Amino acid sequence: MTLIATRPDPGEARPYTFPDLQRVTVAGGTVIGAHLPGQALASAMLLLDAGAARESAGREGTATVLAKSLEEGTTERDSAAYALALESLGAELSPGVDWDTFRVGVSAPVPQLLDAMRLAAEAVRTPRLDPDDVNRVRDDEVTALRMDWAQPGPRADAALRADLFGAAERFGRPMHGDPASVAAVSVDDVLAFHQAWLRRPGVLLVAGDLGTLDLEALGQAAFAGTGGDALTVEPPLGVPVRAERRIILVDRPGSVQSTLRLGHRAPERATPDYVAMTLAATVLGGAFTSRLNHLIREVKGYTYGIRGSYAMSRRFGRFEVAAGVQTAVTVPAVVDTLGEIARTQESGVTEDELAVARAWRAGQLSVEMQTPGSIVGALSTLVVHGLPDDYYATLRRQYLETPLAEVSAAAAAHLRPNGLTLVIEGDAAVIRDELVAAQIGDVVDAEI
Amino acid sequence: MVCVNLWYDVGSRHEPAGQTGFAHLFEHLMFEGSQHVAKTEHMRLVQGNGGSLNATTNPDRTNYFETMPAEHLELALWLEADRMGGLVPALTQETLDNQREVVKNERRQRYENVPYGDAWLRLLALLYPEGHPYHHATIGSMEDLNAAGLETFKEFHQRYYAPNNAVLTVAGDASPAEVFALAEKYFGLLEPVASIPPAPGSHLPGPATSPVRETVTADVPAPRLYLSHRTHQFGTAGYDAVTVLAAVLGNGRGSRLYQRLADGARIAQPDYIGAYGVDLAHAPAPLIVTATAKDGVPVETLEEGLSEVIGSLVTEPVTEQELSRAKALLTTAWWRQVSTVGGRADTLGRYATQFGDPASAAYRLPQWLAVTADDVTEAAAYALKPESRVTLTYLPETNGESA
Repeated sequence: MTLIATRPDPGEARPYTFPDLQRVTVAGGTVIGAHLPGQALASAMLLLDAGAARESAGREGTATVLAKSLEEGTTERDSAAYALALESLGAELSPGVDWDTFRVGVSAPVPQLLDAMRLAAEAVRTPRLDPDDVNRVRDDEVTALRMDWAQPGPRADAALRADLFGAAERFGRPMHGDPASVAAVSVDDVLAFHQAWLRRPGVLLVAGDLGTLDLEALGQAAFAGTGGDALTVEPPLGVPVRAERRIILVDRPGSVQSTLRLGHRAPERATPDYVAMTLAATVLGGAFTSRLNHLIREVKGYTYGIRGSYAMSRRFGRFEVAAGVQTAVTVPAVVDTLGEIARTQESGVTEDELAVARAWRAGQLSVEMQTPGSIVGALSTLVVHGLPDDYYATLRRQYLETPLAEVSAAAAAHLRPNGLTLVIEGDAAVIRDELVAAQIGDVVDAEI
Repeated sequence: MVCVNLWYDVGSRHEPAGQTGFAHLFEHLMFEGSQHVAKTEHMRLVQGNGGSLNATTNPDRTNYFETMPAEHLELALWLEADRMGGLVPALTQETLDNQREVVKNERRQRYENVPYGDAWLRLLALLYPEGHPYHHATIGSMEDLNAAGLETFKEFHQRYYAPNNAVLTVAGDASPAEVFALAEKYFGLLEPVASIPPAPGSHLPGPATSPVRETVTADVPAPRLYLSHRTHQFGTAGYDAVTVLAAVLGNGRGSRLYQRLADGARIAQPDYIGAYGVDLAHAPAPLIVTATAKDGVPVETLEEGLSEVIGSLVTEPVTEQELSRAKALLTTAWWRQVSTVGGRADTLGRYATQFGDPASAAYRLPQWLAVTADDVTEAAAYALKPESRVTLTYLPETNGESA
């Protein structure tokens, strides 16, 4: 025998640490720095309270057009000179929009970060926003959305969102808008959004070797010329859930897979059940050995992968299961998926499953936080949701210690298998009759 | 944290005709249990002890890796040794049938169900002649996957999965003495394979000598072009020049392609233009240039524009500014690649497998930085001639402008 039969015991665990944080208040803004000694690269992120939720009705996508216009030249230099200056530092600018924030990330080798930050601030605070450029970027964005919507997924996402939050509501429309709403965005919309929201200081997050980086100088660069008070957060939206299941069919003729997006609303990020919900969702659809992935992939072979999770922002949350399944097995895959959601809601989780979920979630707080970029992302969660500096150590302990009864109770309360909206994007001509016959819920056609 | 990484020197280039996709399907089977690890237990033991894991197969090789809290280093080594030395007894027809369906769904999801998704599959067949080990794609054909029999996979394991065809790399919070002792304990008694069959011959005399075109009319949202050339092998001075060339040509908003076609002539969609090399080490590796037409721009106009910009690399020498921009971006990319224990382990495993010395990884960045403008011009003149070009064109089914 050449193999060792006995599984080895673990060695001694090292204590969990999150990087030391430093705070500096400068030029009307706050800088939060995380110390990563020895890292060659550093990341910074300017976090502004200017998310997609602040866009006007019918103009969804305004913030995204603005984000994409920032590199079209500044009051200092044109777009070609800007690209050359930034990229010659080895730096990359990544402006982006989510529901809660407008964020501009910049990463570079440590010695270049300050110059890169100055250029990032130049683009954010003093973009040229020439009307011809903004119109062109807007048109390009309409085309880019059409490209994106030709993939499986985005149309299903939009149909689910509209059903859960209401097509007339901002939260019921796609975060980055749709081709029609972006086409309606005007130069004035973009200028007004910049004027209202991007001239406030915000918060600057920095991860890197603080022995070398100068947080005060970085803050000076980020906050120069800004003003305005912090904004108040609007209250959460509540958690209305359908009385009966509903199936929305999104036709994709000839599709060899059906794209599943099954969801219902859930509490916002601040819910006291956050940890228990996350652990329950990990057992159901988070880990590779989750109930859904085990049954739908590893036993049935219907899919390359299936995931279930809660996504939560400041004002709302939702539960969602996402997968691509072979067209011919669409209905059995949906039925099996509903069965696992219902089983988890009714009878909770087991100790064995929970042990995997606990250890995995706790371990991810180290494994997924090795780079300056990921640490900056972790800091942004602290700021957006008002969490304390020692949050990740606390979260880790909660993952390891939350009692099973609380996790099962969270599954019982926050999984609503009978109130799900089931969006199925696939070849309607092939799957419709079988879906109707399965009597899972009323089948309606999407207007997308 | 520690990362345990194994490179096996076997990839889809080793697959004979009729067995395309087998190396990758085999990779899936490696997660389904081995002699002392029950089915589903591999994943449960890694994730259930806080780790992340995965594996990838490409034309050149197959790699397996898990990043774990440091106290589970020994567990990771035990798991890897058990599937290196003891996979065959655990292989069952049921597992094979299940993972065959999973892989077919992977093929549907990544290549068949997305617009332009089969571009890479088509490019390989156009770039490398019939019978060349890079001619077929790693994912394989549905037909071959359907025909895959259990015996073939047992033989595959016995032929290629052994200590003398693998490199084990550990990076992170562990001392070299501890790692070497544990490696000896778990892998030291595994039998080497007596003779590993040589990979099918991959020699090519140089760039192609006649152009190849393929036009696909499909359900795609806009006309798109892929222009591709065989260049040099990864790891050579010639390929270092190609790497810098690709950055000058198509990496970032300051690149020639972006400046001239997305920003300047405004004929290409800004989100979908670029150039990159695919770092293959066993035959001249591809450089791929791609662009998607803006609304109303005929695909012929776009192709003319791309050809001009590619040609400019020979006729308009790369400036110092362009060169230093490209090198700055490559420097950041290098440091990003090695900023995690997983990235460090994989990089060292690659250089040990492909060049016999993990320390040779340290030369890559300095070699990129030593590339001159003349080197780039020379690489372009050698590899990017119009007569050696593969042109793959996608047209929408209802494309009026360029029909």
